[in-house]
Amino acid sequence: MRLRSAVRVWDEFFFAKESPVPICLFRIIYGALVIATLLLLRPDWLTWYGVHGWVSLPTALKLEPGNRLNLFAIIPQSDSWINALFWFALGSAVLLTIGLFTRINSILVFVFLTSIQQRNLYITHGGDTFLRLAGFFLIFAPAGAAFSVDRLIRIRRGKEPTVIEARRPWAQRMIQIQLSLLYFVTFLMKIKGAPWLQGSALFYVYHLDELKRFPVPNWFFKPIMLKLGSWSALALEFSLGVLIWVKDFRYVLLTLGLLFHLWLEYSLNIPLFQWDILSAYVLFIDPDDMVRLWRRFVPFAHELRTQDAPAQTARGLDG
Amino acid sequence: MPDDMPAPHFPRVNAGVKVSRPERAKYIAINIFLVFHLLAIACWCVPIDSPLIPLCRNLVRPYFLWSGLFQSWDMFAPVPKGANSYIEATLVYRDGSRKTWTFPRMEQLSLTERCFKERYRKFAESLQRDEVDDLLPDAARYIARSNSSPGNPVTTVVLIQKYSFIVPRPDGVYVPEPWEQHILLGYGVQPQDLK
Repeated sequence: MRLRSAVRVWDEFFFAKESPVPICLFRIIYGALVIATLLLLRPDWLTWYGVHGWVSLPTALKLEPGNRLNLFAIIPQSDSWINALFWFALGSAVLLTIGLFTRINSILVFVFLTSIQQRNLYITHGGDTFLRLAGFFLIFAPAGAAFSVDRLIRIRRGKEPTVIEARRPWAQRMIQIQLSLLYFVTFLMKIKGAPWLQGSALFYVYHLDELKRFPVPNWFFKPIMLKLGSWSALALEFSLGVLIWVKDFRYVLLTLGLLFHLWLEYSLNIPLFQWDILSAYVLFIDPDDMVRLWRRFVPFAHELRTQDAPAQTARGLDG
Repeated sequence: MPDDMPAPHFPRVNAGVKVSRPERAKYIAINIFLVFHLLAIACWCVPIDSPLIPLCRNLVRPYFLWSGLFQSWDMFAPVPKGANSYIEATLVYRDGSRKTWTFPRMEQLSLTERCFKERYRKFAESLQRDEVDDLLPDAARYIARSNSSPGNPVTTVVLIQKYSFIVPRPDGVYVPEPWEQHILLGYGVQPQDLK
């Protein structure tokens, strides 16, 4: 590939305007997941983050040194301030979900989420990490360009047409890359371990009492099934990390990935983890397919139609 | 990307299209942002043995730690946890009495409780990691505070890790191994710990 064509591919991938519907749907799912995360933390909020919680702030700062985006280290050390931080975080997440002051709230939600995790990194799982990372790139995305109160206000004021404008998807692409990297790195880490290569890994995973949720059928524990399961997980994680970018495989892989995570959701107790990861699947769905699907169920709906990108007028990197 | 999408419209000077200076600057800035983050994230989390990787990680570490972009994807990898385990604490009170306190154990909770208390599982798992030993005194102090009364405070907390190895058998049958124990910390509680 010549440099010129590589630049063209890069430009097309990150900057060719397309419908912002997937990123806006992601914003809603993402916001709902942040709300759910906060609500699940609420009963033990002060236990985890309070002045007299499990991990004191000085210990947290000692174990995780360096300058970090952590509001807990800035606010006065009192439980009322720490409680107030919860309600601010929840409020921002609600506003982000409905798309009111979307950009500001995407920044606030990221700051709150990062602070919560930095304050006590010892209770976070991979799903939390993914929400944090996706939240960072969501800040730069046109997340309020559809399905948002912001958009309704802009339409009412005559500042925006009723047809959704195409936007540059570079921030969306970064979240997609982050998801595929998650799978690919997990695959690389797993193939370093003998149990995954030998096919015995799932024997350990499914005998961890603390992770069990609903009963798993006995046939699943036959050695051949455990081997197939371990190797299938490897194959799927590799595919979702690499082959997901091949359009021809995409929907098949998304379907398999969905089934894989639903199975994990059924069998393992890691609340919200699977949904945190699945949330970004919507970014891989072709906007045109979304429109087709939408029209099938809502025949008179027009609002998902996206305006074609304008001709070479360089109207700005508004996405 | 849909096949019928119009051709991309680059803000670069392309085919004679005039692009304003701020637009061009914005385009360049976004590209720098993208290239930097793609390279930095890849260097941070992709497990490749190369002398350049630690160098790159050290360069981006301050920014990644500050911004929260640090990440590792190693769930059940490279080797899944090979033992069931939990933590309990033996508490000694001023009057000489003793009590055993156990972390919430997911397998003993209802489905709803498990949703809300799952963080305890993760926290107990963290407490068992050698590299974060400094968490143990904080945990001991928290347990002492939660179990003391003004008239009879806790004076000693002993944190004990209980574990039972998971041993695969050729027939696939799981037979639980006996529980063993390991003392994580013995902590003498000071009066100021209870405030």
